[in-house]
Amino acid sequence: MDATTVIAIISCAIVLCGWLVLPHSAAKTVKPLVVSEERKPVSVSA
Amino acid sequence: MKIDSGDTAWVLASAALVMLMTPALGFFYGGLVRRKNVLSTIMHSFFILCLISVQWVLWGYSLAFGPDKFHLIGGLEWIGLNNVGFTPNADYAPTIPHQAYMVFQMMFAVITPALISGAFAERQRFKAFVLFSLLWATFVYDPIAHWVWGAGGWLHNLGALDFAGGTVVHISSGVSALVAALVLGRRLGFGKEKVEPHDATMTVLGACLLWFGWFGFNAGSAVAAGSLATSAFVVTNTATAMAALTWMTVSWWHKRQPSVLGAAAGAVAGLVAITPASGYVNVMGSIVIGFGAGVVCYAAIQLRERIHVDDALDVWAVHGIGGTWGALATGLFATVAINSSAANGLFYGNPKQVLIQLAAIGAAWGWAAVGTFVILKVVNLFVPLRVQEEEELLGLDISQHGEPAYAL
Repeated sequence: MDATTVIAIISCAIVLCGWLVLPHSAAKTVKPLVVSEERKPVSVSA
Repeated sequence: MKIDSGDTAWVLASAALVMLMTPALGFFYGGLVRRKNVLSTIMHSFFILCLISVQWVLWGYSLAFGPDKFHLIGGLEWIGLNNVGFTPNADYAPTIPHQAYMVFQMMFAVITPALISGAFAERQRFKAFVLFSLLWATFVYDPIAHWVWGAGGWLHNLGALDFAGGTVVHISSGVSALVAALVLGRRLGFGKEKVEPHDATMTVLGACLLWFGWFGFNAGSAVAAGSLATSAFVVTNTATAMAALTWMTVSWWHKRQPSVLGAAAGAVAGLVAITPASGYVNVMGSIVIGFGAGVVCYAAIQLRERIHVDDALDVWAVHGIGGTWGALATGLFATVAINSSAANGLFYGNPKQVLIQLAAIGAAWGWAAVGTFVILKVVNLFVPLRVQEEEELLGLDISQHGEPAYAL
């Protein structure tokens, strides 16, 4: 196994293992869109 | 020399793939700007596709690839495509018509100044942009292309490796973007109000189309339909995916959420970084290059934000730094097992290649920075670079083009 392969495997391990320990927090800054009224169907005349 | 139909078909198809990258870039950038500037941002890419297509056949190709003058520039013997016909040119592509090679290279010349447009988005006057792009293509892109790819170019003779344009395309455009951002100054309200991308879906779609077109960019640079093109195709896809995964991980760690736009930007960073190496490295090398691109380009954006430079769409961080990393990594991971006509890199017993790559990187950084600064100052003598304050507030779609992007 050459040096390039060793570094590649370490790189993949860092990325993939990182996901297991990374925290995940919900965003608090973006307001959810509120739909105030239902959209009315659009009539299409032939 | 005999024309090979398979090679010709592949290079023409690749030229079409690379052509698609420029409007794709317009959409990638267009989604990242505010809705009042989306049309002008897309127009930058579309207009450059038209402008440089004509410049290239008139004098650009001759300056970049014409008969060598002092190892610095091509001569004018091929101006207007004079002497550029259907007989293959042995120096560049011995199995396809010379014009097929010319049109393939045209698409590289087109997208490079379009990349810079992300730096001065939302504030550059359109007329100044037109003049700048034409001068930049002629005095910055064409000479660097000759140095690296032209028969007799000094970096070519030195042995610099740049398979598909890490130095010629990405370092030159990325460094020029930084200079342009510094010369034009920050957008109104920069750092005080949050500038949100107006349509992230458009950006992700643009990134996907860039990825698709990049197969022509890199695998097409083999200028033959064979094993080298196949290898370039595979490593391009691998590095891109790895860079997107890495960027997402880093941004997840840093911002506590896996960003969608981050994944798209990471993919582009990977595409940039693998570009110079795509014809020289194996799959393992491409994984390392993709990983490095995700880390260094993300870090470059943090640095750019910290020093308050308004490179609006992070062209320097992604293309300048990504291209630099890719060019350096080519000197580390290149192997003649992939391309017997090239050279080994440091990890395969040839440390000298790193020094050659550093020389090419330094030359491209220097020429692009100085050339861009001078061109911007010259253009500013005739046309103000920036729009007026009220035009910037109104948005460039209306103030420069008189058209809104959306009637919603």
